[in-house]
Amino acid sequence: MVRLAGTPAAAGVLLSVMLLLAGCATPQVAALLEQPPEKLPRQVELAAVPFYPQEAYQCGPAALATAVVHAGATTTPDALVAQVYLPAREGSLQVEMLAAARRHGLIAYRPAPQLRDVLSEIAGGAPVIVLQNLAFSFAPRWHYAVAIGYDLAREEIILRSGTSQRLVMTLSNFERTWARGGHWAMMTLAPERLPATATEDRYLTAVVAMERVAPGPARRAYATALERWPHNLLARIGQGNTAYAMHDLAAAEAAYREATRRHPDAADAWNNLAQTLLELQRRDEALTAAQQAVAIGGPRLPQYQATLKIVSESR
Amino acid sequence: MNTFNRCIARVLIVSTLGMGMPASSLAGIVSTDQISGGAGRVQVKSFLDRAEVQAGLQALGVDSTAAQARVDALSDEEVASLADRIEQMPAGGTDVLGVVLVVFLILLLTDILGLTKVFPFTKPVR
Repeated sequence: MVRLAGTPAAAGVLLSVMLLLAGCATPQVAALLEQPPEKLPRQVELAAVPFYPQEAYQCGPAALATAVVHAGATTTPDALVAQVYLPAREGSLQVEMLAAARRHGLIAYRPAPQLRDVLSEIAGGAPVIVLQNLAFSFAPRWHYAVAIGYDLAREEIILRSGTSQRLVMTLSNFERTWARGGHWAMMTLAPERLPATATEDRYLTAVVAMERVAPGPARRAYATALERWPHNLLARIGQGNTAYAMHDLAAAEAAYREATRRHPDAADAWNNLAQTLLELQRRDEALTAAQQAVAIGGPRLPQYQATLKIVSESR
Repeated sequence: MNTFNRCIARVLIVSTLGMGMPASSLAGIVSTDQISGGAGRVQVKSFLDRAEVQAGLQALGVDSTAAQARVDALSDEEVASLADRIEQMPAGGTDVLGVVLVVFLILLLTDILGLTKVFPFTKPVR
């Protein structure tokens, strides 16, 4: 093989290997076409999704603006440059794309790394930002685009990409570039809207990450989560914590109480209830709750003990 | 000079450690982040990571105010994933034009074969 390098024969081998590869259907596309999800429409295009042609290397801000504006928030690619663009890298990092969406009060949801999930989300009305590696693994050309439609019969996906308002790619071609981008995808959603393919864990991960920067929208998202999964303890406590962060102590108390009612062994809920009651000047009730947390114990016992100490010493 | 600056930065980080610590690390509300991340979360580590990531963003051309706001918007987990590694993370930003000729021809071929998708105008064979 080494001797052949640079000869026409080598080029021939290379070409035939490539042709062979190109002929293969990509795994996710093959599975999808063989057995499309029952409820998945055959063809969808979210034509109302806005288009912001990319300037220079700024596909990150352009793609993000596309999704954020569609979700109902106000921004422009120029405004997003200061939030996601890295001048020296001439690009945008994935985690910063997620973080910037949260700064706009939107849930940054990461769907499962499956083509069928991406298409299901599009069918559910949400454009999906995807990271593609347009060239090779050893010489990457990273690119963000927004998937806004597909056609199963034609085996095509439709993207807002770079300076193309409507870039049509074959699903296989797309899957190759997307697979080299690590199957990375994200959506930006108003907190009242659950993703079409939402799972408890994925959704709550997205909401918890948002609490720091946008407690108000996070609080509404916890309510959305509890509507679907009323028994989720994390969402219940999150509802209390966001209310507490917004100084709505009555709502925080109600959320923690509901958490302790549904999950009597949740020491964290008892502890947070104790702290809230203390601030509501209801020391006796606070003391009972704090003692309950300490009695249950767990990995955060020192914290419960500290709360109990403060409650005991108050007044 | 660089070493000197770094030394100063370290002293500052250590001396201001207590200032940024949420009170919840001692008593009071257990944060949702704490619960979802398990008990092993070390807040000092996260604090140092944040300082490092912010410095990293500034080194890559982001001004200091914007860098601070950007780091604040990241979760502890995301900060940890970036610390030390900003340079290696994929940064999506392909300028779909500017490619040199040789690469152009190779990529054109692979585009047509449906292996890559560098050029908006190619139609791959099926």
